[in-house]
Amino acid sequence: MNSETFPLPQDMLPEALKTPPVTIGPVSPASLDEQVLAPVERKPPLAWFIAFACTSAVMLLGISLIGYTIATGIGVWGNNIPVAWAFDIINFVFWIGIGHAGTLISAILLLFRARWRNAVSRFAEAMTIFAVMVAGLFPLIHVGRPWLAFWLMPYPNQRGIWPNFRSPLIWDVFAVSTYFSVSLLFWYLGLVPDLASLRDRTKSKLRKFFYAMLSVGWRGSASHWRHFERAYLIIAGIATGLVLSVHSVVSFDFAVSLVPGWHMTIFPPYFVTGAIFAGFAMVVMAMVMVRTTMKLENLITMYHLEVMNKIILTCSCLMGYAYLMEGFTAWYSMNKFIHHTFWQYIAGDYRVECWLTIVCNIVIPQLFWVRRFRRNYFTMILVALAVTTGMWFERFVIIVSSLHQDYMPSAWFIYKPTLVDLGILAGSFGLFFTLVLIFARVLPVIATTEMKSVLPGAQPRHAGGSLE
Amino acid sequence: MSNQIFSVLGLFDSAQQLMDAIPVVKPKVKARLDAYTPYPIHGMEEALGLRKSPVGGMVFVMGLIGAIATMAFELWTEGMDYPMVTAGKPAFSWQAFVPIMFEVTVLFACFTSGLGMLFLLNRLPFFRHPMLHSKSMPLITRDKFALAVEADGQALDVDAITALLRAAGARTIEVLEQPAPLGLISPNFLFRVVAGIAVSCFVAGYLTYWGVKLFPVAIPMVHMLDQPRLDPQREDNFFKDGFGMRMPVAGTVARGRIPFTIRKQDDASILMNPLPRTDDVLKKGRQEFTIYCSVCHGILGNGVPSLTAAYGAKPANLVSQQFRDYPDGKIYYTIVMGKNAMPSYAADLSEDERWSVVHYVRVLQRAMNAKDTDIPKETRK
Repeated sequence: MNSETFPLPQDMLPEALKTPPVTIGPVSPASLDEQVLAPVERKPPLAWFIAFACTSAVMLLGISLIGYTIATGIGVWGNNIPVAWAFDIINFVFWIGIGHAGTLISAILLLFRARWRNAVSRFAEAMTIFAVMVAGLFPLIHVGRPWLAFWLMPYPNQRGIWPNFRSPLIWDVFAVSTYFSVSLLFWYLGLVPDLASLRDRTKSKLRKFFYAMLSVGWRGSASHWRHFERAYLIIAGIATGLVLSVHSVVSFDFAVSLVPGWHMTIFPPYFVTGAIFAGFAMVVMAMVMVRTTMKLENLITMYHLEVMNKIILTCSCLMGYAYLMEGFTAWYSMNKFIHHTFWQYIAGDYRVECWLTIVCNIVIPQLFWVRRFRRNYFTMILVALAVTTGMWFERFVIIVSSLHQDYMPSAWFIYKPTLVDLGILAGSFGLFFTLVLIFARVLPVIATTEMKSVLPGAQPRHAGGSLE
Repeated sequence: MSNQIFSVLGLFDSAQQLMDAIPVVKPKVKARLDAYTPYPIHGMEEALGLRKSPVGGMVFVMGLIGAIATMAFELWTEGMDYPMVTAGKPAFSWQAFVPIMFEVTVLFACFTSGLGMLFLLNRLPFFRHPMLHSKSMPLITRDKFALAVEADGQALDVDAITALLRAAGARTIEVLEQPAPLGLISPNFLFRVVAGIAVSCFVAGYLTYWGVKLFPVAIPMVHMLDQPRLDPQREDNFFKDGFGMRMPVAGTVARGRIPFTIRKQDDASILMNPLPRTDDVLKKGRQEFTIYCSVCHGILGNGVPSLTAAYGAKPANLVSQQFRDYPDGKIYYTIVMGKNAMPSYAADLSEDERWSVVHYVRVLQRAMNAKDTDIPKETRK
């Protein structure tokens, strides 16, 4: 909500350092409402229905394969000892990572007072929630008997036992469920004023009731805004710690174990960076789609995409450093098992996946050093797809490649996914994009209230708001 | 009461105009001032003289409670209530409990901040607030800014305030009335609510009952219950006799059970009790007697049952002269073979147990027919 920029004397800055306007062309609060809130009440276009049919078909494929897995048992997957973790955990880590961009944009960039975040925050937060929902599905089906998953929660029971709070897997349960609840709360709080706008706009009685209930009688009173702004800022501050903790805890699932290739101190920052990296790639892809199909070019500008592409480039370099550190740690350990595992990464049975990871994550994003490529749809989508693919394969290499040759050569095992594995992976994308499509039609995709507060002339002069 | 004025509202076109109007209006009205804006305006708190929001303090207290409670809970469960040794770590290994403590602290803090702000500090949901039903509300949530003089229990001079707001630059003035007070809940409404709940409970229960009956809840992985083996007592047509289980070969002797071949009670007189008359044996005998025999023969063995016999047969008085004259073997025979209405107890008592019961019956007989001389001289009167 708070949009004060650092008070740089904009006139005295060289052209390259000036903060560009957050919108293009004349945008007023009324036109913003017309552009963002009105589509919610209209019937979706044909293209939306076609897209929805495709994604929901893939989602149904995934759901039926999950049903088949539950009814038959997880023997229908390719997992076997020693590769007990495979697609299920890869997908879990992958989707949790996708979710991280949303909280980063909404929380960390809010604290940094980056005004451009206002246009993309709502969509990115929604993507966070959907990604965490998809991610949460995987550990659940991974346990084999998901109807007993409540055993993970500490509750007094007749067996008299408690979860093992020293286990990173239980930390994970708490981290992911906290992350989901807090993201949902944060998203909902931001939506409340927008829902009030929708409530006051709509003519349909049913919609009015629906939006009135969801906006809990929000009336934009100054005495409410002061609590609202404070609470929002505090949640952003705490969520910053949360978003860094969640993927760190996910990385503890690996790093706290003694498996060579996993037992490394670089893992928490390495995982958090990777998560932000993959998340931003997904946000860029989604933003290009939203921008063109929903005609929001004047609100989500090239500047927004360019800034996000710069973050992708930064993360790519950090990832390169992390990969090098993995090699260094392996060499420096003077442990032949860790040497062996690292050698397996780059020259073993899964070397293709490893080099694919490196090319997709480290080499291709280097395109973004060139300004023209940061502002071009084709290269943007190319890099975003490369990063998404690369990050998925990175988790494949970390999990499968480290596990498939354990200390006992007689147990070595070449992991191959089955069709069910691939179908569930496809289904997870189907589920995610189905939720995104529903969101895009039911709720405002841009936080109009936040946008209004940063439009030129929105704030009184003495409060540093006159960036006209 | 119903048409008492709630507030007088002036609408402005921009945040700047609103902020300029506040210092004009504020000194001249005693009533409460509030602003309604589509988005937060910087400097509004200072202009209206609102107190700083107490959210921060609330969050700190609840976060602290979350942190302490979680750590205490983890230490209690893992260290005291059910200590588990994991990877050789000590019971109170607090370092391993930090991640969950952190997550729960975040959870407590964020929900205190978000929901506490919405529900406690802002007193929402409040659907009857007059603002929500005003003509200005749709304009405010879009792009207009309102300054409201709210009665807050006092009487408002509408004309004076209107003039004041106009002078401060308000374009439109709206006067809001106090909402009509909520009436009492009518008995008819209450009856309909109760009836509605009752009917829906009935329908839901009925549907659940038949739903479960007609479509039995499918247990996933039901094949785990389906074991390819024959259980005892199961019917099966693999064998001619239709039994799933096989009878032991004729003449099989169970471990610890010597076949009992005597078929007449008198012939059993020759049997000798092989057990010594020790304390342990008598205690064993008393235990078995209490379990199996006392139900009919009575806890003292005198034929007065602890359960009133439902049928006509009268249990024997084991302490009578007739049974005192019995040799051990004949009592043993009765236990094994039964007598009259008494069934065989061969399946319930092993040989040693039967013989210890015989010993115990002898104890009862002696105790129930005690003489004066049995009492020590010192205590006799």
